[in-house]
Amino acid sequence: MSKIDIRVGGLGGQGVILCASIIGKAAAIHDNKHATLIQSFGPEARGSACSAQVMIDDHPIGYPYVKSLDVLVVMSRDAYKQFVTQLKPGGILLYEEELVTPGAMPPGVSAYAIPATRFAEQLGRRLVLNIVMVGFFAGVTGLLSEQAVEKAVLSSVPKGTEDLNLRAYRKGFEYGREQVESRRLESAANGQTQQSFAI
Amino acid sequence: MNLEEYPITLTLKDGLHVTIRPMTASDGPALLEFFRSLPEEDRQFLREDVTQQEVVARFVANLDYDTVLPLLAINEGKIVGDATLHRTHRGWSSHVGEIRVVVARAFQRNGLGTTLAKYLVRHAISVGLDKMVGEVIDNQVGARRAFERLGFHPEAVLKGHVKDIHGMKRDLVILANDVSHIWEKMEAMVADFSPTFGG
Repeated sequence: MSKIDIRVGGLGGQGVILCASIIGKAAAIHDNKHATLIQSFGPEARGSACSAQVMIDDHPIGYPYVKSLDVLVVMSRDAYKQFVTQLKPGGILLYEEELVTPGAMPPGVSAYAIPATRFAEQLGRRLVLNIVMVGFFAGVTGLLSEQAVEKAVLSSVPKGTEDLNLRAYRKGFEYGREQVESRRLESAANGQTQQSFAI
Repeated sequence: MNLEEYPITLTLKDGLHVTIRPMTASDGPALLEFFRSLPEEDRQFLREDVTQQEVVARFVANLDYDTVLPLLAINEGKIVGDATLHRTHRGWSSHVGEIRVVVARAFQRNGLGTTLAKYLVRHAISVGLDKMVGEVIDNQVGARRAFERLGFHPEAVLKGHVKDIHGMKRDLVILANDVSHIWEKMEAMVADFSPTFGG
């Protein structure tokens, strides 16, 4: 796998940094890769802009700041506006469909939407929205093994909350896989080739 | 705990094996037999006359695990325990679940009641409930101890609230287990605020 630049953006209180941290942990601890994490957040615990940069590579990473993004995960409109221009042509946009309305994007970007907040509420706690997004990331991109991300989720969340977080992860993962599969069938029907990462 | 993990077979303190699983629509006759086998002094704690076929038929006909999750304990094909988690999805107590447990006399004092309640507590946490309550009569020492082993504590006593089969008024003790602290840790993790988190 060549270097993958990822950014997760949203608002404080959505678990943006935990989401990015789990992706990085899955890669570095459970999937035998290298990963870095850079986080930035505002002075308030809730509601301020927040983002995290994750880099994943098969080789050691010398410079941890992402420049152009292979994958952008956004959970707020402001994060989308701020970071969408950093997406590489042909990159992947993953967004919370009830909070973000995508506009113009770089050419060839594949955009996938998920009602993560609604799913989290249906599962029992809005709090696990970020874990739904982790699952969606894993399901759509296929960059990391399902088991690696699952282990990273379980080792990152507080004791006693594992069951709900695991269900949130699986919900996002399955939804992501369904989206990719339906996109693939659609492309095949139109005689096109589905873009994917070379891992 | 996910329901797909059932059935679960386990060995009790006295070496007896039981299988625990959610109630299904075909459990009506066995459930009626179980309730009818209970001594009258045990049935007095139940809210309905469960020796009536139509009452049990209603239980199995209206199964909705999201509202009432009934777990059965089965030994040698017979139901020997029934525990239920009751919750409402609207109103001011939608964060609270109520646990009720009834166990056959031959299976009391061997940990079965505690075990059934433990699975329901785990399920309640996994569906995002903040608090669980259970009701015992002041002289139900074993049941009270079982709840207390799972973190419940007396929160209210309703004096002379129930009458036993001898017509004697007894106190109803409401035991509660507040598990919201588990989610407070998760809330802190998704605050996107701590300068040390994820670093």
